[in-house]
Amino acid sequence: MTAIEVRELTRRYSGGFEAVRGVSFSVERGEMFALLGTNGAGKTSTVEVVEGLSRPAEGSVRVLGHDPYGERAVVRPRVGVMLQEGGFPPDLTVDEATRMWAGTLTSPRPVDEALALVDLSHRASVRVKQLSGGERRRLDLALALLGKPEVLFLDEPTTGLDPESRRNTWELIRALLLEGVTVLLTTHYLEEAQALADRLAIMHRGRIVAQGTVSEVVDAYPSRISFMPPAGVALPVVADLDVSGRATVRTNDLQQTLHELLAWAHRNDVALSGLDARSASLEEAFLAIAEEAA
Amino acid sequence: MRAVAVGQAELKLFWRNKTALFNSLVLPLLLIPVLVSIDADGTPLVVGLIGFALVMAVYYNLVTTFVARREELVLKRLRVGELTDPEILLGASLPSVAVALGQMALFVAIVGVITGVSVPSRPWFILLGVVGGIVVFALLAAVSSAFTRTVEMAQVTSLPVVMACILGSGMMFPLSVLPEGLQPVLRLLPLTPVLDLLRAGWQDGPVLRPVIVLAVWTVLGTYAVRRWFRWDPRR
Repeated sequence: MTAIEVRELTRRYSGGFEAVRGVSFSVERGEMFALLGTNGAGKTSTVEVVEGLSRPAEGSVRVLGHDPYGERAVVRPRVGVMLQEGGFPPDLTVDEATRMWAGTLTSPRPVDEALALVDLSHRASVRVKQLSGGERRRLDLALALLGKPEVLFLDEPTTGLDPESRRNTWELIRALLLEGVTVLLTTHYLEEAQALADRLAIMHRGRIVAQGTVSEVVDAYPSRISFMPPAGVALPVVADLDVSGRATVRTNDLQQTLHELLAWAHRNDVALSGLDARSASLEEAFLAIAEEAA
Repeated sequence: MRAVAVGQAELKLFWRNKTALFNSLVLPLLLIPVLVSIDADGTPLVVGLIGFALVMAVYYNLVTTFVARREELVLKRLRVGELTDPEILLGASLPSVAVALGQMALFVAIVGVITGVSVPSRPWFILLGVVGGIVVFALLAAVSSAFTRTVEMAQVTSLPVVMACILGSGMMFPLSVLPEGLQPVLRLLPLTPVLDLLRAGWQDGPVLRPVIVLAVWTVLGTYAVRRWFRWDPRR
């Protein structure tokens, strides 16, 4: 069953600038879909329309079968939103801010439970203005989870978090996915998308330029082998040499190419210092896309 | 009511905001000795003080509240929740409205007792004036907040409405002392019909015209809020 359906979405700002241009994707129930992209690619502009904050200039958006803008009252009780930049009154305590939010919801979790989920129980009586940036992000996540949402929107949820909190947040998101929650994530941490997302789309200048599972997106890009060849040796494979003399080989068949290279080195007694072989990662795919599009 | 959750939080913030607390609670108390020494007909004074509470406690306070919550990104956060837009604005308005009603009750009680203001013969016009005034000035505050970049700027951006209402609505001096050509225009200010209705609570006076003017302001205010109110910070 489809939780989120976005078709040919275009968003135009008052000055006429098109932040989103004909974007389409769909997210199944219980799936995590990640929107990646450079800054200004249109991720947040897209997500805001899906959240129902704004009406699309063109195209259509359905969340749980409803129009999130026109049928806000139907959709909102079933979704949770963590904005990229959301605020709480600085002079409320964590507990008060959470209670206020709970008071606006149809069927909230207990406040203590929500704070425990994001490891903020021990900060309950602290004023929001005294929280660190990472703690504020976690409070925002607690509020997004407070209404026991079926669909969760996370706009850069781990920005500003220390590595441990980030891991904890990932674990929490994984647990939610197992419970059947649908998640639409935007992030500029590629490893976050690689670790969590079932499918993803990469945006650039308002368009989706690649979409699919992590491996589908990544497989379109070559693996790399790099090493420092001894001077004056003719290599058996096509390689780019950088200024330091380091050779990089790009291949779509990593195993075969690596085998040829190692067999050749063995036969000729050549040392390949600093040898490094890796499958294409999301990061490489991402950088290649950004370069191509630039 | 869901908006009450926001109202309760706003009330806590109000108690923690020293400036707002001083302006809303201490300043009116300082007025008491002045009021006590008055030896005149109390009714115009009561009417004027209610008008003053509408302009300062409702309008001015709410301009700063709306701007502060917008700049803190609180409005933006609330807007992705379950509350409707009117509920968010209502919730944020509750403490200011409560303070204004408290000020009015205090002023009326003190001045009423000292000068012997009679019990209003048509109290429903007073109720209509107070409720209508609160609605119109809360709407105007929301509109003004859209044109106010920072909390500090609220002192400037609220000035036109504050001055026009205090000077031009027959609060400080009767409109009849002003040039005749000006009077019909001043009757269209948002506070004038409120004061007319309040006066009508005690003595016979026209009510149809003020009710119409107040209704028009409500419609215009609602339209302007829908058209211009900003939920995101001005950047």
